[in-house]
Amino acid sequence: MRRRRGSIAWWLIFLLGVLYFFLPLVATLDFSLKAQPALAAYTNALKDPKFLTSLLYSLVIGLLTIAASLALIVPTAYWVQLRVPRARSLVEFVTLLPFVIPAVVLVFGLIRVYSRPPLPFTHTDIGSSALLVAGYIVLSLPYMYRAVDTGLRAIDIRSLTEAAQSMGAGWLTIILRVILPNLRAALLSGAFLTLAIVLGEFTIANFLARPAFGPYLNLLSQSKAYEPAAVSLISFGLTWLAMIFIAFLGREARTRIEIGGAH
Amino acid sequence: MTAISERAAPLARPARRFSRSWLGLAPFFLFAIFFIGAPVTYLVLGSFQDNEGQTTLQNYADLATPGIANAFLISIEVSLVTAVIGGVFGFLLAYAVILGGLPRVLRDALMTFSGVASNFAGVPLALAFIFTLGQLGMVTVFLKNFGIDPYASGFTIYSKLGLELVYLYFQFPLMVLIIAPAIDGLRPEWREAAENMGASSLQYWQRVALPILFPAILGTMILLFGNAFGAQATAYQLTSGLIPLVTLLIGNQIAGDVLHNPGLGYAMAMGMVAVMGASILVYTVLQRRAERWRR
Amino acid sequence: MNRSRSRAFSLLAVSGLVFAACSAAATPAPAPAGGGAPEALVTAAKAEGTLTTIALPDDWCNYREVIDTFKAKYGLAVNELDPGASSGVEIEAIKANKDNPGPQAPDVVDVGFSFGEDNKDLFEPYKVATWDSIPDAAKNTDGLWWGDYYGVMSFTTNTAIQPNPPKDWSDLLKPEYKGQVALDGDPRASNQAIQAVYAAALANGGSLDNAQPGLDFFKKVVEAGNFVPVDANPGTITQGATPIALRWSYNGLSHRDATAGNPTIDVTVPTSGRFGGVYIQAISKYAPHPNAAKLWMEYLYSDEGQLLWLKGYCNPIRYDDMVARGVVPADLAAKLPDSTGAVFPTPAQLAAATKLITEGWDKTVGVDVVVPPQ
Repeated sequence: MRRRRGSIAWWLIFLLGVLYFFLPLVATLDFSLKAQPALAAYTNALKDPKFLTSLLYSLVIGLLTIAASLALIVPTAYWVQLRVPRARSLVEFVTLLPFVIPAVVLVFGLIRVYSRPPLPFTHTDIGSSALLVAGYIVLSLPYMYRAVDTGLRAIDIRSLTEAAQSMGAGWLTIILRVILPNLRAALLSGAFLTLAIVLGEFTIANFLARPAFGPYLNLLSQSKAYEPAAVSLISFGLTWLAMIFIAFLGREARTRIEIGGAH
Repeated sequence: MTAISERAAPLARPARRFSRSWLGLAPFFLFAIFFIGAPVTYLVLGSFQDNEGQTTLQNYADLATPGIANAFLISIEVSLVTAVIGGVFGFLLAYAVILGGLPRVLRDALMTFSGVASNFAGVPLALAFIFTLGQLGMVTVFLKNFGIDPYASGFTIYSKLGLELVYLYFQFPLMVLIIAPAIDGLRPEWREAAENMGASSLQYWQRVALPILFPAILGTMILLFGNAFGAQATAYQLTSGLIPLVTLLIGNQIAGDVLHNPGLGYAMAMGMVAVMGASILVYTVLQRRAERWRR
Repeated sequence: MNRSRSRAFSLLAVSGLVFAACSAAATPAPAPAGGGAPEALVTAAKAEGTLTTIALPDDWCNYREVIDTFKAKYGLAVNELDPGASSGVEIEAIKANKDNPGPQAPDVVDVGFSFGEDNKDLFEPYKVATWDSIPDAAKNTDGLWWGDYYGVMSFTTNTAIQPNPPKDWSDLLKPEYKGQVALDGDPRASNQAIQAVYAAALANGGSLDNAQPGLDFFKKVVEAGNFVPVDANPGTITQGATPIALRWSYNGLSHRDATAGNPTIDVTVPTSGRFGGVYIQAISKYAPHPNAAKLWMEYLYSDEGQLLWLKGYCNPIRYDDMVARGVVPADLAAKLPDSTGAVFPTPAQLAAATKLITEGWDKTVGVDVVVPPQ
């Protein structure tokens, strides 16, 4: 496609956005450097070995959450659009519930139910971590669903499904090899949002007593003056790096299977 | 296009309320029952209890008190405003990097940045804005050097306007990320075809692009609405003591320092559930209208 | 988010304290006056191996050192849940983990005074060796909860922004403090903020039984344009958004130490209207490690533990007893701000004032009142 040269209007909008996003970050940086010596707030944060271990733990939990979330949501959103449009309102309502459940209520509700037989998740480390993943799937539900749903709307799933079925593909093949590849951009968006949530999340990880990044950052920030600013920037930077890495993994994103086209 | 959607008929089953197709949604609903159902049940049951554990409807009656009702109105207003503004500018931003002719690397940078920024909230975000636009903020001081004193002319970051300004920080990126695939879905051939038929830019937008994008834009705005509606920590840090929001009131009741009434907090949370339910209804109605003129 | 707590402690108990100390020395007591744990308890606690705490920030009453020395002394691990939890959340955590022996269940809590009686059915009774030296007004007769430390409401000022700190409540109305005065927390919910309003009442014609003048005073602060409606914490104080914050003396002093002159934080106890706030300790009835919990309490209430709190600028509850017995080092005592004349409300007074302030704030001071120009 011949791209039109970027007009001034679009550049202006972009630059306005950049200004809005970066000024608060610059202000935070400026404040964090007022420590004596200037980088003390940062060195204090990074010296600790627990920094790396908690970051790794949260990254792993994040990836697990993304995988489980996609496995749950992609088929669901697909099925709603393809077969059960009447269910749309109900499903969307459920996906928006996590917004109105306060985090403390969520974690204490989960602990209450899953700290006794028949499903005593909290009694073991693995169980507690599994409960954490479940909690994060809930938290990322609104975003993941919306991302996948929007992505599905942009492609013609009826035709794709029909075409695949006419070639004898079963449902699993359809989803894995026909639908998913066409959703790359949407899946990446959903993955970004989920990872950001997991890396920054504090309440659930803390009350489930998990060695995650959120509680660790919070510990660093306790009542000190310059450290919290440094810590929030470090967290911002690291999360951005993780995103760039995921984006890099999903690089060949522009292929699209076209119906009736040259492919 | 129409030919394809007509061929959809064989796949669609005759309209029965709960056809067996709903079984395909079983994993989703099971997950919801197991992991959302537990906290929600607790919310529902708790909302009917008072501090002594007796069953009561008083908590729901209290929802009508002016303080709480006012908080609902303000929360809805702030969420609506940031959803619309966030939706519009977020859309423009996404369009700028995808189809606006900007270098490709800017799209990747914006997408990854949006991933992080969409979750930059709470105390760090509020502090960042205080450091920028507070009375001693970087930008405020900068402007003062040029003789412009925003605070003298009545601006303050510690207001509803300030709160909305801060909320937009995570609303814009959310819109950008979610609407991007939809903008991707706008085939360049459609624009070229429209131009070949003599359509102007405006007509292209009015007749082709916006109708196609409308359901996605609407759906994402609902998401933005819920996102803002449920925010709490940011608001607390920024406006503690002045602006009543429902999430703050709930936090006070359930997780506060002064022994209050968790039951009332749960009833307020149920009120929020009702608001989300109502917004889904509005969204569904608007959606049906939009689809009507797509055919 | 800062925890705020509140407590009540009657001044009459102080005199009763000296009496109690004398009689404790006279009666043959099984435990030494300085406190300490019996061997059997130490063994039982070590067998449990861990203690789970909640809501104990590092620099609140020097808890970092308290926890570290406890760990070193008894070889137990300490699992620290949410340091920033409020009293309400601590109670919720106990309730939610009733059936859970895992690391998510807190063994011990440190909550605001008003949380004691109302939640006593969640607590396990226990009386530490030094029980008698805890003032009667600050403990439950059945040993379900007991006071731990107190502080005084004070003005914390960032002298780089405001070189002339206020000395008394009436100073807060001066024009030189325009847009500088802030509360730590929301006065409709946070104890530290509510007690600040209560304290203001004392200096403005009110009393422990009448907190309304406190609300009226803050209305005047807002009308003078001096109030900034931001939750004051070390970050906002240091940066200058909330140059004058009303916080507990121990919070202000540990902030002063943390910034070490960059910038210099001044902590001043107002000359009039001195208000003391007390917190309480309790053991959860559902504690997975009851013996470790009891050992922790014995440690906190030994002279050693109490002095560590003192190091964090918190007046430990057994302070007067320890002073009477001469175990408080002079240099440590000198670091405390002068708080003579501080008054402590009773639970009933506290409850009434809290209700008045939380319900009256919006009406008297809130959005409807003239605020800095929008």
